[in-house]
Amino acid sequence: MSFLDHIDPLTETAIAELTAAADSAELDRARVRYLGLNGEVTALLKQLGTLPKEQRPEAGQKINRAKNRLESLLNERRTELELAASLPKVPSDFTLPGRRPTVGRLHPLTQITEEIVRSFRKIGFAVADGPEVEDDYHCFDALNTPADHPARDTQDTFFIRQGTAASQPATSPTPMILRTHTSSVQIRVMEKQPPPVRIIVPGRVYRRDNADATHNPTFHQVEGLYVDRGITVGDLKGTVEFVFRDLMGPDTKIRFRPHYFSYTEPSFEIDFSSALTRKMGRDWLEIAGCGMVHPKVFENVGYDPETWTGWAFGFGIERIAMIRYGVTDIRLFYENDQRFLRQF
Amino acid sequence: MKVTLNWLKQYVAFDWTAEELAERLTMLGLEVEGIVKSGGEFEGIVVGEVLTRNKVEGSDKLSVCRVNDGTGERQVICGAQNFKAGDKVALILPGASLPAKPGEPPFTIKVRKVMGVESHGMLCSPRELGLAEDADGILILPPEARTGQSFAEHLGCAAGDVVFDLEVTPNRPDLNSLIGIAREIAAVTGNPLRIPNLESLKAATADPSAGKPQTRPTDQWVTVRLEAPDLCPRYVARVVSGVKIGPSPDWLRQALGKVGIRSISNVVDVTNFVMLETGQPLHAFDYSLLTRPTDSAASAATPTIVVRRATPGETFTTLDGKKHTLNEGNLLIADSVKGIALAGVMGGQNTEINDQTSDVLIESAYFHPTHIRATSKQLDLRTESSYRFERGADVGIADWASRRCVQLILETAGGLPTPGVVDAYPAPAPLAEVCLRFSKTNALLGIEIAGTEQRRLLESLSLEPTASSDTEGTFRIPSFRVDLKREIDLIEEVCRLYGIDKIPGTTPRGAVGFNDFDRTHDALTEVRHLMNALGLDECQGQTLISDSAAAHLTPTEETVFLSHPLSADMNVLRPSLIPGLLDTLSRNAHHKNPDVAMFEIGRVFSNRDGKVIENRELAIALTGLRANPFWAGDDRSAKCDLFDLKGLLEEFFEQFGLPRIAWNRNPSPRSLYVESAAILLGGKLPLGELGQLHPLLAKQHDLRNPVFLARLDLDAVLARRNQSRSFKAIPQFPTVRRDVALLLPETVTHDSVLGAVRQSKTANLQQVDLFDVFKGQNVPEGQKSMAYAFTYRHAERTLTDNEVNTAHAALVTQITKKLGATVRE
Repeated sequence: MSFLDHIDPLTETAIAELTAAADSAELDRARVRYLGLNGEVTALLKQLGTLPKEQRPEAGQKINRAKNRLESLLNERRTELELAASLPKVPSDFTLPGRRPTVGRLHPLTQITEEIVRSFRKIGFAVADGPEVEDDYHCFDALNTPADHPARDTQDTFFIRQGTAASQPATSPTPMILRTHTSSVQIRVMEKQPPPVRIIVPGRVYRRDNADATHNPTFHQVEGLYVDRGITVGDLKGTVEFVFRDLMGPDTKIRFRPHYFSYTEPSFEIDFSSALTRKMGRDWLEIAGCGMVHPKVFENVGYDPETWTGWAFGFGIERIAMIRYGVTDIRLFYENDQRFLRQF
Repeated sequence: MKVTLNWLKQYVAFDWTAEELAERLTMLGLEVEGIVKSGGEFEGIVVGEVLTRNKVEGSDKLSVCRVNDGTGERQVICGAQNFKAGDKVALILPGASLPAKPGEPPFTIKVRKVMGVESHGMLCSPRELGLAEDADGILILPPEARTGQSFAEHLGCAAGDVVFDLEVTPNRPDLNSLIGIAREIAAVTGNPLRIPNLESLKAATADPSAGKPQTRPTDQWVTVRLEAPDLCPRYVARVVSGVKIGPSPDWLRQALGKVGIRSISNVVDVTNFVMLETGQPLHAFDYSLLTRPTDSAASAATPTIVVRRATPGETFTTLDGKKHTLNEGNLLIADSVKGIALAGVMGGQNTEINDQTSDVLIESAYFHPTHIRATSKQLDLRTESSYRFERGADVGIADWASRRCVQLILETAGGLPTPGVVDAYPAPAPLAEVCLRFSKTNALLGIEIAGTEQRRLLESLSLEPTASSDTEGTFRIPSFRVDLKREIDLIEEVCRLYGIDKIPGTTPRGAVGFNDFDRTHDALTEVRHLMNALGLDECQGQTLISDSAAAHLTPTEETVFLSHPLSADMNVLRPSLIPGLLDTLSRNAHHKNPDVAMFEIGRVFSNRDGKVIENRELAIALTGLRANPFWAGDDRSAKCDLFDLKGLLEEFFEQFGLPRIAWNRNPSPRSLYVESAAILLGGKLPLGELGQLHPLLAKQHDLRNPVFLARLDLDAVLARRNQSRSFKAIPQFPTVRRDVALLLPETVTHDSVLGAVRQSKTANLQQVDLFDVFKGQNVPEGQKSMAYAFTYRHAERTLTDNEVNTAHAALVTQITKKLGATVRE
């Protein structure tokens, strides 16, 4: 009986063993036993040389077929076992809380400001900026609000102490103040650039009010200014309507009421009405002031009021945020309680 | 300004409801801030006639009365003593309520028994009716009062009344008067304005045949000398002699009471009434208290009213009993020896109307707004009068108001008017004229309003056209419209009367805006979003902080102080956002949230040689847990440390294209920090600092965990930001990594290791990464182990093991020699 007669039974045994292997360690042991360097199948190949030359090809093919069969089975089983090993042992509890990376939030006032800026940019406005510490020329006089103007009474202003306490300057320099409105930037921009002008100015402003639920000495405004040829009250209304609908929802109604600001004429206050105001039990809620730029203001910055007309408006960002989110105390914006900030 | 519906209706007819009127006035620019309905308050109160009055048995005070209520008789018990049978009284019927006092529930009258006697109603006192503050006894009505008439009707406010609180804008002083407001309503309705008729006065002064005794003309009673016509260009004086000072009649008390003015006496009330009616403040002096010249010439014995500047240091006691020390900037009304009124602000105690006053001098003048404003501010004395003068009174109404005042004094206090007037008005100001190009209105409003219509609208406001064509009109501005100065002002009036709601909005159009700041705005937004992505919440702090908080960050001489701060907590402009962040951490800690990671972007202020410099800062604060709470993991309770903060900053600098940042430890950190480092760009340019909050300060803020702070000069960062990006080919050939752990003296920094590596100029070395720093077991005292991974790669071929080994060995030798290190095996 030739060793060739062992091929088939050996193959069958090997197949059984590979199939039965319960994990990759057992599988590996079976591999070594049959297909390893000193394995039984490998041994058969080594015995080929003992056969007569003419029998060798046939015998070799037979052994190789068996070996290939075993190797493919081995690979198949290995994949199977590896897969089995990688399956979860215990089913996962999908209700456990996830591991959350921290992503910060923007301050609600920033979010509102960004929305306002986005709305205005849609219709061609650029963002402008100016100093918060101002002189009273830019904050008042240039805006047609001279020193003895009654309108100046309504704005209580913070003054910067000049010189040190020890050495007060001999001649009183121009008083420096904290700007009471962003309108001062209108003047700064128009002084610097020729018309047309189309800007919005978000920023901090200051009034000498003690902090309470509706006041904080620091708050934010957005100013809009558009100067061009042939600008009309209709343009002002159209833009205000566009922006407020964009901002407060398409059901928002806008109402203009004649009012008085020294730097615009005619001047208006803007009321809006929406589901939000109705929820607050009000038909109309005052939200902004606006008007056509007063010719005197144009004269002050060297624009010819016969050629150029324009409008300006301004509103408080806190007020919008308070209405939008139902915040009832302005101080919350400046306390930065994380439980507050994380709601927006 | 408060007005009532019924009072307004005396001057113009309209049939709007209270709500409609409020809406119309609001849309005219006279915002109605409040509406209070009153007057239904006298419901169930009638004029009654006392038929009999008898004592209640067993009581000293109570009487039982039979009272006619107009429909029949009823029995009423009363405790008052000031009435008798036959008197007309205010009778409140059972079921009705007395007018409610603010904050009190209404008192409802019921049929009740007093000492066994039933009372079907009550006789009311003026106090119970809300007509007077203090009064003894019940209200006795004049005998001619009609029994059974409703009490409200008797008072002349049958339908009830509505009080409107109006916000008058500072440009419209003319609207601080009933007539002014009525004029607006007249303009809108087209109904005529009904100015009170002064004919009766003419009769009283001009008709000697009327049988009334005559008195000498006004200019023989008083002369007026204007010494400061720039401050007081007009002074009208009239005298009423022989008045009887007493309480005002009901209608007058009611009218004033409803708009919040206390009734004082008939003459004083009349001056207030006329002020509310016309907007012209008036003052009444007791004529007998004016000093007469002592020289005996009879004609010269006339007192002289001198309108003059106060002498420096002159003192004056106003009606309210306050003594003021004046200076030349204050204007006084004086007689020949003393001040008698602080012009336009308040009268003097020395010439006040009193019970004995018989002759009254009435002042109706015009004072310059700026001057009144300054005096009122200086003396901290604000009155209805100063309020009106400082906004600009109507110089043209002075005489009319004076006559109206005389008319009402005669009606309410009797007396004789002196014929004629002393009207010192040396230089009457001509009325201004303003031209309006009708096309200009249309160009500005964006609609077409015909010239004739524009003219009609302006005329309805009593602007008188002096010249008019198809294209333009010139209008004479009445003296009460001090706000109408130029064309744009007339355009506004056209817009207002035409109705802003009728001007359609036009779709946004036109020029594209530009401004240099626009990009900066976007960059700031980018920084904010990146900070969010790095796990930081944005906060917004107060700009105003305390100088003691600021002192930790900046020397006093560089701090910007307010001149009149609200409080010591808010007396400087923040030199950094750090103090605000600390407050934020502290506040959160108080609310049991010790884990906070926040940033703020905002302006900070510094004083450089007297100039205020504004910069933008980015500040970050980290404290508490590093990661969100989780239910597994060894490091879940790890706290933030310096390197969390540094890592954030490194990521920020990389994203903003700022390579080669140096972190130079400060050998002596400022008081804020226990340890800190300067952040330098390119090793030189300071961008900011980071550090750990000093534990003492942390304790002061109730912060238990270490706090890490950073601040960056955002202007400097953005100025040097590098946004250029260029593609580099992705490496084709594999990298080879060699690790080495070095034992180094503790004081050797990572930077010096990198320095030594750089110095070696090792070929093909791509990257050096620190992957472990270790002290303790097997590491000698005073030393540390730092493990580095060195990555080698050649751009054009695969490196052989051999060449990497050779290069790496040479590198390690160099480092160890240079740093006194040994290789840890």
